[in-house]
Amino acid sequence: MQDRECEALIVGAGYAGLSAARELVRAGIDVLVAEARDRVGGRVWTTTSPTGAVIDHGGQWIGPGQDLLQKLADECGAETFPTFTTGEGVEWRDENRTTYAGLIPTSDPAAAADGIEAIFELDLASTEIPLDAPWDAPDARARDEQTLGSWLAATVSSPGARAIITAAVKSIFGTEPGELSLLFTLFYLRSGGGLMNLARTTNGAQERRFAGGAQQPALYLADELADRVLLSSPVTAITYGADTVTAIVTPPESGGDPVRIRARRCIVAMPPALSVRLDWSPPLPGRRDQLSMRAPMGSVTKIHAVYDRPFWRDEGLNGQVVSDEGAIRVSFDDSPPDAAHGILLGFIAGDECRALDAATPAQRAQAALADFVRYFGPRAASPLEVLERHWPAEPYTRGGPVAVFSPGLLTGFGPALRDPVGPVHWAGTETATEWCGYIDGALSSGLRAAAEVIAALAR
Amino acid sequence: MADRDEIAEAYADWRIRCNENDRLRRMLRGWDRVVHLVATDTGDRFTVEVRDQMLAELAGGTDAVADLVVTATSEDFADLFWGDLNPSEKYMSGEITLAGAQEDVMRLDAMSMVAFLDR
Ligand SMILES: Cc1cc2nc3c(=O)[nH]c(=O)nc-3n(C[C@H](O)[C@H](O)[C@H](O)COP(=O)(O)OP(=O)(O)OC[C@H]3O[C@@H](n4cnc5c(N)ncnc54)[C@H](O)[C@@H]3O)c2cc1C
Repeated sequence: MQDRECEALIVGAGYAGLSAARELVRAGIDVLVAEARDRVGGRVWTTTSPTGAVIDHGGQWIGPGQDLLQKLADECGAETFPTFTTGEGVEWRDENRTTYAGLIPTSDPAAAADGIEAIFELDLASTEIPLDAPWDAPDARARDEQTLGSWLAATVSSPGARAIITAAVKSIFGTEPGELSLLFTLFYLRSGGGLMNLARTTNGAQERRFAGGAQQPALYLADELADRVLLSSPVTAITYGADTVTAIVTPPESGGDPVRIRARRCIVAMPPALSVRLDWSPPLPGRRDQLSMRAPMGSVTKIHAVYDRPFWRDEGLNGQVVSDEGAIRVSFDDSPPDAAHGILLGFIAGDECRALDAATPAQRAQAALADFVRYFGPRAASPLEVLERHWPAEPYTRGGPVAVFSPGLLTGFGPALRDPVGPVHWAGTETATEWCGYIDGALSSGLRAAAEVIAALAR
Repeated sequence: MADRDEIAEAYADWRIRCNENDRLRRMLRGWDRVVHLVATDTGDRFTVEVRDQMLAELAGGTDAVADLVVTATSEDFADLFWGDLNPSEKYMSGEITLAGAQEDVMRLDAMSMVAFLDR
């Protein structure tokens, strides 16, 4: 067993851990970052495909108001470009294909108007939620006892409107509306500027992408942190006292000796559900552990079909789909800025993701292509390649895009999200108040946890 | 290009439809605001006031302090008010812009879409 020491140990080199580490280093604190994977970035991961396409398998978009990420992107010279939105979207509903302009499918105008009014009511209600303490919101208890699904069933009479909202919600959270606490949903919407904002491309959360992939700023931070970042170093156990933390890193089989890292403070920068898979000694307080039991990861698979060119644009389509059938019910044009390839990005989310969990990547690809053919015609059947990332199977993420809070979490356990446990502090996008669930929220959560550690070490 | 009179005529028509629309009136509850319209091509400016869940008549110029500023071409303003243009489409392409507090932008965005769909 190798021994190492530092003042502050960070577990996890996603955007939250990296942002915390940078802040601590700037404050002159001696930092180590233990990252389980052989790369940084966590839920953000960019690769170059065999045909040379830059593929973001996880988080990829940046939108207005995500100022921390934008600032970091500017600093490291990561260029962004607008998501392709020119033309019409495809709506598939009740076995019918139509096209529509703008944000919301309009084949049934009354349903669309109902849908917009429902989104409007959610967004309006969300403005009442205090971001730093959603459990103090008006009617917090009653709202936390409901789900978004039960709210939709009670409030929105038109099935078409419910279908539109359900498709959007599934791709935003990776779950069915019936699994989301209404209070959590309202908090999350407020945190990201409203459902309309989260659903939008232009003027919303899907406005721009990174030309070199969304992992670029993470790689830049890792570069700056240099050998403070320990890759392929999964932490398996944490022992903590009043002022010390000892973490055991058990490298994967081929990866060398276990390491014992002693620190005065520790920031655990990962989703709650993963943090309780570590062997804690003494056991975490019940409240923190039970919070994590109520915050499962969503279910999402991202599929990229790469074509020689974006052929759907020839027919005036923008690559966006809203559908009530098939594995892929929401899609986007994910082509590079120069359209050197045509790339369709499809999300398999919620129940569809679960239904295909045991499928092979080839089977999921086949299901996706059948859907793309239905939406975009026969040319969609022959991509150059299909790339997929099935996040529930990723050992160090186990789902996505985010943790979803079940009914009762916020009102029963809320403050335990961020309350330190002795010398252990919590970061990760799930602990953010602004842009919770997004890269920007991960960055701010890291800054918040770092500030706690700086204050604690100064005492 | 649409001149001031055309825009005023189209707005008058739109205003009646909006003020008779129950859904829109619900969505305007508790939302008294001053909205400026700026035509990017002609430079014409107008003020619309929302008060007690009703849209007021169009006023020329932009003298009062606005909560929201909408920019579009004069043609798009006219088409929008005639109900021929889906505002969501032009907002998505960036040809219509909304500036103001986030909640106000959200309200105007949603109500303009509903006005189009319920036309
Ligand atoms: C498919 C998908 C699409 C998304 N789209 C967007 C988007 O377009 N825009 C956007 O802003 N956000 C998006 N997100 C969300 C965004 O990716 C996350 O909010 C953000 O990356 C979370 O960062 P984090 O640091 O909080 O957590 P993570 O990125 O999950 O970081 C946690 C880190 O901890 C590591 N770790 C786990 N266990 C251990 C252990 N035992 N020991 C050591 N290390 C460990 C993990 O490997 C990981 O690196 C998307 C996510 C997914 C999955």
